[in-house]
Amino acid sequence: MLQGTPTTAANYLIKQLPKATAFINTKFEVVYVSDRWITDFDFGKRNVLGKSIFDLFDTVSDDLKDLLESCLIGSGGDSGVERFTDRSQKERWFEWTNIPWFDDRENIIGIIIQAEEVTQRVLQAEKLRKLELLLQNKSEVAGIGSWEYDTFRQTLHWCPTIKKIKGVADDYIPTAESAIEFYKEGFSRNTIAMAVENAKKNGTPWHEKLEMTTADGRDIWVIAAGKPLYRDGKYIGLLGTLQEITDHVNSENKIKESESLLRTVIDNLPLNLYIKDIDSRKTLVNRSECEYLGVSDPNEILGKSDHELYDKEVADISRQEDLAVMRSLTPIYGKETLNVTPNGNATTFLTSKIPLIGNDGRATGLMGISLDISNLKKQESELRNLINVTSLQNKKLVNFAHIVSHNLRSHTANFSMLLDFLKDEKDEAEKDNILRMLIAASNNLLETLENLNEVVSINTNVNLDKKPVKLYEKANTIVDSLSGFLKDSDAKIQNLISPDQKVKVVPAYLDSILMNFITNAVKYRDPSRIPVITLSTEKTNNFTVLSISDNGLGIDLKRYGEKLFGMYKTFHENDEARGIGLYITKNQVEAMGGFITTSSEVGKGTTFKIHFNDKD
Amino acid sequence: MTKISTVSIIDDDPITIFGITKMLNALDCCDHIETYMNGEQAIRAIRDQIKSQEDIPEVIFLDINMPIMDGWQFLEEFIALKISQTIRINIVTSSIDPVDRQNWEDFKNRTHHQIEFMNKPMTRDEVALITEAVKQS
Repeated sequence: MLQGTPTTAANYLIKQLPKATAFINTKFEVVYVSDRWITDFDFGKRNVLGKSIFDLFDTVSDDLKDLLESCLIGSGGDSGVERFTDRSQKERWFEWTNIPWFDDRENIIGIIIQAEEVTQRVLQAEKLRKLELLLQNKSEVAGIGSWEYDTFRQTLHWCPTIKKIKGVADDYIPTAESAIEFYKEGFSRNTIAMAVENAKKNGTPWHEKLEMTTADGRDIWVIAAGKPLYRDGKYIGLLGTLQEITDHVNSENKIKESESLLRTVIDNLPLNLYIKDIDSRKTLVNRSECEYLGVSDPNEILGKSDHELYDKEVADISRQEDLAVMRSLTPIYGKETLNVTPNGNATTFLTSKIPLIGNDGRATGLMGISLDISNLKKQESELRNLINVTSLQNKKLVNFAHIVSHNLRSHTANFSMLLDFLKDEKDEAEKDNILRMLIAASNNLLETLENLNEVVSINTNVNLDKKPVKLYEKANTIVDSLSGFLKDSDAKIQNLISPDQKVKVVPAYLDSILMNFITNAVKYRDPSRIPVITLSTEKTNNFTVLSISDNGLGIDLKRYGEKLFGMYKTFHENDEARGIGLYITKNQVEAMGGFITTSSEVGKGTTFKIHFNDKD
Repeated sequence: MTKISTVSIIDDDPITIFGITKMLNALDCCDHIETYMNGEQAIRAIRDQIKSQEDIPEVIFLDINMPIMDGWQFLEEFIALKISQTIRINIVTSSIDPVDRQNWEDFKNRTHHQIEFMNKPMTRDEVALITEAVKQS
């Protein structure tokens, strides 16, 4: 027992102390402990009295050792936090407080140690430190800085990231006013000032994309966010973040610029351009395509398939093409296609379809480019028509040249032959005979020239003045003028033309045509029956057809069909046949844009159908 | 020197007929001259001559452009007739249409008859050349 050892009563008191308390002697051996000490440090039934504290706590830190030793020489009240591992290997933290233990003569006879468990506090402090570290890391990595404004002290705190963003030194001390002045004058500064005011007054948070100028003179874009802070319902300040997004905004602007450039290009291309998805639905269309489909807003087309936009037949073909392009990944270039919109407009396109290929190497859709070549096609067909007309006219011209040459040669040949005879002829009677023939040949030549002249004038009269003429009345007039001629052969005319029927003709030509066909019908009558000539009309596309039927001799069309309208072709042994009438008639009808068809049966009669063109 | 028995002139132009006839007479080279105004009349007459075993013309002057039946249609029917001897046919025309020359070439290759092509006007020398050639054959 040590000197001045407290009594048992003291021992009992110590046992009941509410905190973990131990009395140790100068050799650091435990003299008294409170029950709390036993339970707190989890000694259980283990006897601790008389044991060295360093044996009981094998993990005592050097700090604590120093503390205890200095306590024995008089310093006291020092405390430290110690880690302790209990029997279940759980880590716990205690705060030790040591004071010297004096006897009644003020001699230090040991140390009084009090321990209090602070595990909860230590762990929380550690967590907080970790969180702060994490936040700082995040802030640096993300470039998002944070700030806090204390309205009571009127101080503004910026984290290092904000200082970096604003280009100020680490020791810069911001104020509310200077902070606002970083924002660009005008929209940005007004917006932030308003936002702060609103937050203070109404408690509304803000989140704005704004421009500011840094301390080192860079113009940057930032996202500024903030909200008011309250304690017990009372406004105490503001808290917020700042993030620089200049690169983001710049690249966004660049993308916008290229998008707008691309859009301008595709909208102004004189081509129909579209993009279709894998189901052939349009996902992009340009202005030409909208105009072609007669809509002002692309949204009326987007999402629609060809079957909703075009005629079924056309849509089927187009869909098959789409599938082939997307399956084979092979583009179609410049294929001529015909598109028909539901309202029936047909357009010829030169179409290209290019597959769009995704990252997996498969088609995700296609791009279509169509060039409207309807006008070209129309011009091409007009040109072809013109060539046909020209070559036909050329043929006619060559034919006519042959006719002229033939006719002139045959007469001049006769002249030269007869003159040759005349030169050597001695017999006066024969001389007269030859002279008579020369005169006849000369008259024939004059007549031939007149005929040729007439044909030329029909074919060169390009400015034909066509007028609507009442056919019925015209026919009657001609019949009247031929009344003597008709009476001689007892011919009957049946005019079945509707009294209102009009045809567009050159009146003089119509006279000549009617005159020719009617006199021909009488000339080539069958002597065994009374000639009956029937006139009637019908309508076909663009033509008014006049039929002139007779019951005359008829013509073997197999034999003579080709020559029927030839010049100087005659087919009957008839003295009145000159072989010029039908040739001129044909030229007149053709000059008015019409044509003649013939049907005939030998011994029955002939029908000529004169097709008058209704157009000018 | 013998004479040609029959010469046939087929032409719708009376002046040509007059001219050729006059030249033949002047040459005094043939016994008979037949004239026809078109092919139809001529072929009918030749068919009758064959039927009644009369002499058929040894020389024919043939116009192309004629009514009813033209020179080509006549030739078509003539070469189809069974005539063993070689007849000299002279196409006499004022046509310069190449189609007519082509037709002539075609006919020449299709028949054993001798077919010539000449342009109007015929001259006395040409007629003499033809008739001499026939007489000597």
